[in-house]
Amino acid sequence: MIKVEGLYHSYNRDGDYAVKNASFEVPKGEVFGFLGPSGAGKSTTQGILTGLLRLQEGKVNVAGYDVKELKRSMFNKIGMSFEQSNVYSALTARENLRFYSKLFDVPTEDPDTLLKLVGLFDVADKKAGEFSKGMKHRLTFARSMMNNPELWFLDEPTTGLDPAIAATIKEIVREKNKQGVTIFLTTHNMYIADELCNRVAFIVDGEIKLIDSPRNLKLQYGQNLVDVEYGDGGSLKKETFSTVDERDIKKLQELIGRKHIATMHTKEATLEEIFIKVTGRELV
Amino acid sequence: MKKMLTIFGRDVRVNMKNFMAVFIILFPIVMAIGINLFTPGINDTTVNLALLSKDTEMAAYYEDFAKVETFATQGEVENRVAQRDNVVGILPEENGNYYILTQGNEPKEAVVEYAQVLKALYELDAQVADSNAVLHNFGKTVPPLKNTLVNAMILMISILGGMLISLNIVEEKMDNTVSAINVAPISRTAWVFGKSLMGLLLPLVGSFALVLITGFTYINFLQLAAVVVASALISIIVGFVQGLNADDMMTAVAGIKMMMLPMIGSVIGAELVSQKWQWCFYWSPFYWMYKANGIVLSGAGEWPKLLLDTGLVLVITALIFAYQAPRIRKGLEKV
Repeated sequence: MIKVEGLYHSYNRDGDYAVKNASFEVPKGEVFGFLGPSGAGKSTTQGILTGLLRLQEGKVNVAGYDVKELKRSMFNKIGMSFEQSNVYSALTARENLRFYSKLFDVPTEDPDTLLKLVGLFDVADKKAGEFSKGMKHRLTFARSMMNNPELWFLDEPTTGLDPAIAATIKEIVREKNKQGVTIFLTTHNMYIADELCNRVAFIVDGEIKLIDSPRNLKLQYGQNLVDVEYGDGGSLKKETFSTVDERDIKKLQELIGRKHIATMHTKEATLEEIFIKVTGRELV
Repeated sequence: MKKMLTIFGRDVRVNMKNFMAVFIILFPIVMAIGINLFTPGINDTTVNLALLSKDTEMAAYYEDFAKVETFATQGEVENRVAQRDNVVGILPEENGNYYILTQGNEPKEAVVEYAQVLKALYELDAQVADSNAVLHNFGKTVPPLKNTLVNAMILMISILGGMLISLNIVEEKMDNTVSAINVAPISRTAWVFGKSLMGLLLPLVGSFALVLITGFTYINFLQLAAVVVASALISIIVGFVQGLNADDMMTAVAGIKMMMLPMIGSVIGAELVSQKWQWCFYWSPFYWMYKANGIVLSGAGEWPKLLLDTGLVLVITALIFAYQAPRIRKGLEKV
């Protein structure tokens, strides 16, 4: 669904690249996470893929379209949910969606269905300018589904949302993916990436450092540890054991036999820890 | 085309919710009513007479030369004359002669003496057919002040079209909605044309409403449309430039208002400056628009002169567009 080869982009065309030699493929039906700190080149890459930025160097094919010779019909196939909500303040939520639906050449969703999906149906006739930040974000998110996209770009889809709404958004993303929608998720939130993505790419300073599934990354870079809390002479003690180190395994077995175990948890490395380990950078 | 109209429809919907935009849209009608109130209308130059209804023969004679109202009693005629407007009463005396009744503050030559002459002509039984005078005229049927005001208002309305474009673009910038349009299957050209429609239709509809309300019903409306479209183009360009470069509504409006200076200057120049200094205003498209509008409002229908003036407007507009095109292109890439 997306194929990128040798992508470079310099805003001032001066050799100072925001994206350097990026290459990756996203097959149909995958949720692909594009992860990195602010200024890493995530938005630049996404901007090129969605035609918001002009392709300078490299080959980019999106939904069967060569981005070098962008055709507007490509946007009938893709949806884009922006990080910064961008809806018409003077129009109501329903008017916003109705207006946008008229711009497509393909059958579109009913605005009310989308508003119900994101929990805004009750305020469908309220001006978007009177919405809270979270409500505007949901309206922007709803609008991106208007044309039932085959390829869906999501830029920080849960940023600024309360946990309940964020959970709804994640559920919608999962459901759409089940229906076969390919998703390109740009975020610096590793938990969301971990929950939703089939594969993730780590990008830092414009370069893609690695691409793999969260599970493989955890197996490759995570440590297999167990946190144990046990009773010892009236007090509660806590120790961490490796599940691969022979000495730790022996000590853990002895502990289980001799002491009263209060809690025991396996401890996997988080994507965030792996990111720091691989790139040497924090996800700020 | 459908998407262009969608963009235009959105602008109309948003404008209808914005007080300033509604005022701009209604401005031509407000001004037309204002012009009618404060200048003598084309049909209002006649004298109004109040007579008794029994004087039917007299009323029939006067109706060829004045607006006649008839009343049942002398008291009613007196009440009518006493009202604010200029109505002259012609009433019978006891001896059978007729006298003229006025409030006393009517214009002497234009109203009172005209009524006196009319009365004398009636008494002499003079008819228009009796006159051997041959009529010649310059084709001017409208009071010059009214002509000037309507002409200047047509120019003003074209500027207001640009102001609306500017407001609509600034609104999109403030909401950051152009990025959403950029990922929709609509071309940049369709968006620009959709946004421009307001700058074309407001001047067209507004100017037509203005001339109709102010009584210029005899003009060639095709000629008016030609001049208004040519005039609107320059406002559309300036509207885009201001909209793309302003960050808030007030800055955009202020930028467009600057266009009023050359507009007013051109009108004053064309009307008051002597012929030998007229060349000083040749650079101004408003000067040529004003000239072209003058031809249209005269109803004389001189196409060659009209096309020459309109052509000059288009040439100056093309030069302005060539100068501003890089700013517009850059502004469109930024939004």
